[in-house]
Amino acid sequence: MGFNTEDIALIRELQRDIYLDANPFQRVADSLGWSLDRVIDRINELKAVGIIRRFGAALTPANAGFKTNAMIVWDMEGAEGFSFGEIMAVHPRVSHCYIRPSFEGFQFTLYTMTHADSEEELQTIITDLSVKSGLKRYRILRTLKELKKTSPVYFG
Amino acid sequence: MDSIDREILNIIQSDFPISTEPYAEVGRRVGLSGNEVLIRVKKLLKEGVIRKVGPFFDAAKMGHKSTLCAVDVPVEKITQIADIIALYPEITHNYLREGTPNLWFTVIAPTEERIGEILARISKDGGVGPIYNLPAKKMFKVKVDLKVVGA
Repeated sequence: MGFNTEDIALIRELQRDIYLDANPFQRVADSLGWSLDRVIDRINELKAVGIIRRFGAALTPANAGFKTNAMIVWDMEGAEGFSFGEIMAVHPRVSHCYIRPSFEGFQFTLYTMTHADSEEELQTIITDLSVKSGLKRYRILRTLKELKKTSPVYFG
Repeated sequence: MDSIDREILNIIQSDFPISTEPYAEVGRRVGLSGNEVLIRVKKLLKEGVIRKVGPFFDAAKMGHKSTLCAVDVPVEKITQIADIIALYPEITHNYLREGTPNLWFTVIAPTEERIGEILARISKDGGVGPIYNLPAKKMFKVKVDLKVVGA
């Protein structure tokens, strides 16, 4: 399933700042001239097919008690297999895990984003990931400053 | 943040009720009225714990291309480059990190051509580069809900 022109109208409404209201989906229904049931059903369908991958609150990790946020990049040392990524992705403190191309002077290709309460916990997570995957060569790229964080706007 | 705030956060991060009265539904699970939940959510937004509430779309399923880019920027130019990056709605995250390269940002745009155009403009206008364009070859996890536990 893809999305149709009526979905585009719905997606535009859903991206508005409407959620600090007791009945946000009724507001969407009123704006679109749809029934509330139609709005709810269509959102659930878009969730089911993964067009909406998540619906809810996004936190700013640093303000939610995660003091030490870091991107850990791993050298797979020429290995092509995806098993390293699968091993790391299951760790609860790894939020994002990708393989990306290497580039000039940077041989690290497996990227994991980790959120920890403290430097000690970060070290524990890294040790855990290293032991479970068998990967030994990594670099810790701690977040020094968040310069921008927004959400993409679709059909803006 | 108290334990009820944390409970609310853990519910609404991944399971915001798609229903007539979402906050009343969350309230039933944590033992508060819908209005009490809404007041707490507003406070958490004001404090910056919550960044936003709403839908998160899969960029690829929306027909968009996404990538992570890295560029090394001299310390004295960070603010200037951050200001240029701020101009592009297609750039959603920008972080200063340890190491080299030190500036890492994500771009989501309808086409790869548009991404290339943005990178070329930043490089030219900011006098920085090379900008490494690192689209994912394989994605294992995108899970932005974080289990919040008591301190």
